[in-house]
Amino acid sequence: VYNSRWLTLCHFWVAFGVFLLAAVLGAWQMLMRSPLPAPLDDPNLYYASVTLHGTAMAYVVTTFFAMGFGYAVTATSLSRPIRGTMAAWIGFAICLTGTLMAVVAILSGQASVLYTFYPPLLGSVWYYCGAFLLVGGSMIWVVLMVINMMAWKRDNPGKPVPLAMFAIAATALLWAWAASGVEVELATIVLPRAFGFTTEMDAGLARMLFSVTLHAIVYFWLMPAYIAFYTLVPQVAGGRLYSDTMGRLTFIMFLLFSLPVGIHHLLADPEIGIGFKFLQSFLTFFVALPTLLTVFSICASLEIAGRHRGGTGLFGWIAALPWDEPMILAVGLSLVMLGFGGGGGLINMAYGMNSMIHNTAWILAHFHLIFGGAVVIMYFAIAYEMWPRITDKPLRSKQLARWQLSLWFLGMMIMTIPWHITGLMGQPRRVAIFDFTDPLLARMIPLADLSVIGGLILLTSAILFIAILVRSQFGTLELAAPLRYALAVNPPTRVPESLNGFALWNTILLMFMIVMYGYPIGQFFFLKSSVPVYEMTRQSAAAGLQ
Amino acid sequence: MVRDQGALRLENPWPLIGWASFAAIVVSSFLIGFVFLSRYQENTDPLTFWGAICRGLGITADTAAASSPQAPLRTPTEIAWTQTTLEQIRNGDAQRGRFIAMNCVACHEEATANRSHLIPILDGLDAAVIFKQLSDYRSGKRSWGVMNGIGKALDAQASADVAAYFATRTGRLQTDSGMRFPEGGRGFRQSNVGKRLIFAGDPQRGIAPCASCHGPGGYKLGAPALKGQYSAYIERQLAAFAQGIRQNDIYEQMRAIARHLTADEMKAVAEYFGAPGRQVAAKN
Repeated sequence: VYNSRWLTLCHFWVAFGVFLLAAVLGAWQMLMRSPLPAPLDDPNLYYASVTLHGTAMAYVVTTFFAMGFGYAVTATSLSRPIRGTMAAWIGFAICLTGTLMAVVAILSGQASVLYTFYPPLLGSVWYYCGAFLLVGGSMIWVVLMVINMMAWKRDNPGKPVPLAMFAIAATALLWAWAASGVEVELATIVLPRAFGFTTEMDAGLARMLFSVTLHAIVYFWLMPAYIAFYTLVPQVAGGRLYSDTMGRLTFIMFLLFSLPVGIHHLLADPEIGIGFKFLQSFLTFFVALPTLLTVFSICASLEIAGRHRGGTGLFGWIAALPWDEPMILAVGLSLVMLGFGGGGGLINMAYGMNSMIHNTAWILAHFHLIFGGAVVIMYFAIAYEMWPRITDKPLRSKQLARWQLSLWFLGMMIMTIPWHITGLMGQPRRVAIFDFTDPLLARMIPLADLSVIGGLILLTSAILFIAILVRSQFGTLELAAPLRYALAVNPPTRVPESLNGFALWNTILLMFMIVMYGYPIGQFFFLKSSVPVYEMTRQSAAAGLQ
Repeated sequence: MVRDQGALRLENPWPLIGWASFAAIVVSSFLIGFVFLSRYQENTDPLTFWGAICRGLGITADTAAASSPQAPLRTPTEIAWTQTTLEQIRNGDAQRGRFIAMNCVACHEEATANRSHLIPILDGLDAAVIFKQLSDYRSGKRSWGVMNGIGKALDAQASADVAAYFATRTGRLQTDSGMRFPEGGRGFRQSNVGKRLIFAGDPQRGIAPCASCHGPGGYKLGAPALKGQYSAYIERQLAAFAQGIRQNDIYEQMRAIARHLTADEMKAVAEYFGAPGRQVAAKN
């Protein structure tokens, strides 16, 4: 892992430490929402907790994990030390500072605006500065990924960039495009108001800019999992990747189709015409293409491995796979959750069907299943795969890891399936207190109780995960085999320039963004939709306790 | 393999594929979204070509609706159950009220003027009820011949006084049934239509049980006790609410409920409430 060892380790520990904290908060929120008694029963604390849980899981855990993973992938896939470690540490420090600022602001009860900011709500300026620094600091990582790939291409003219490096560069570019929305929103609308330079806030424009980030950020979270699907899973399974070109196309399509689709998060916003709402819903369906390509080529790769290991018959190869490997188990569980969550996602993004489930518990069921389930379980598997390489200590133990992954799957299913149902029954999300004596809500009591059980299983699994990593870290020194990436069935010797870099695809994406976002953003300059803010800084969390 | 010379050179295969797909997606999605789907509206005729494009962009004729003049708000009553109002009612002086009430009893007591029993019994009525009705008569929110003139002659303090006086006189309107346990037969299977509507209501038609506000189930502020009131009076008021002649019920609850009642049901309800009252009348 060359010089990326400490970089990766520090990034991962920040990510996983924050993850454990946020998981505890999540379990408490489950109790608050349920008919069961919860400690510290206070709505103000609930909203502070939701803000912290969302900010931690969506911004901190994912960004730090992707950065650490990116450094490790760069060094191992290019088989050489990474360039710019100094800049990488500076980026780490900036992101950590931003995280601490945001966390302190939320804990003080002055920033309970939830992690999507919800303008015209206005929280503490420290929270917005923290988020700005966290996202901004990660741009150093983006630049480093691109620089490292370009330097390697200069040193190896005509050779194809390894798929893992190509994919992590796609991830970095995707994040740069995605983050532009929230950074512009913070810099031009929210922060000027928070500092008191302006008196009002254009909530419509702010939401529109955030929608640029809102969907693509999900794919930024997803990408490490997909990189593992393509480059680690076939290797661990003992086979080969079905197609290298298909992998490249998948990552290119994720870059193209995850960005000009954010308005499907604003289907109920009044300022946007129905034409653009339809347009971006329509484009969202194209995201299914790379997902289906991935499911196909991963199944094909696993079949190659299974048959290589002696499996025969129509389904015999499935049983022949090494299911005792955490990575393989995680892929199996992840694909199940991806199937359920993806099916729900098709309903959310459809302009017509969205109104059935808009802002209900269905939505949180969907993204917990997709992100908390399908993606995070791959984060776990990646961590188990990486840990022996970056600490030189073996994983203690694989059996415990299998238990942890299975519990996570079980807990996620038990938690989210009742949520889907209560969502269809009309239970709103982001509400602290429900009056379960109301006959309309009384029907939801068994479902709400069931999902609490799921939440507690998830918390158990999260604690187990940290315990495994800590135990391994304090284990005996033992050199591990170096991280190897899967070879393709037909390893590429030369690839077209368009599939070896991003110049073409960035240009097409730019055109997409101009066509799909030019008018929706531009219209706000003549709509004049600025409104006074609603300040959240006046009420403290302690006030509700009395 | 072909090595690309640049991202925009269409003679290379991948840029051609990329730009062609881009153009196909943009053109087809714009045609569907702006020309085809935007044309059709829920309740009116399809729009023209340009109308559909404008609708797709979010520019519609009703964009400025919020600034157009709105009809003035109609309020059913000027009374709100604020702390100030309740203080005012509580400060009514029953002794003074007794003097004012000498004008009332001419009609509201058993008298030749009230042979048809269309004038309600006031003895034992809650002070807040009388205070609100006097205020509504004064402001013209409720109309009934002579009562509007009498309402105007009384100021708020006098209304509170007279209300306090009548509230102290008990005996005629029953605010509780006098039984330790509620009588039976209060469910949906009750065959007496009046009793069923009073104690169980009719949820399928959105009719709440009368007893939940007018007693004996519970008393809502401003809702008069009805047990013992003249049947003819109750029936007349139900008809007035149903036809919208009487409109001083806050939030229109009484108008909403009375509209769903048939004439026979109004009579049945009125008779059930009024039954003991008639006996009292017979004794006199």
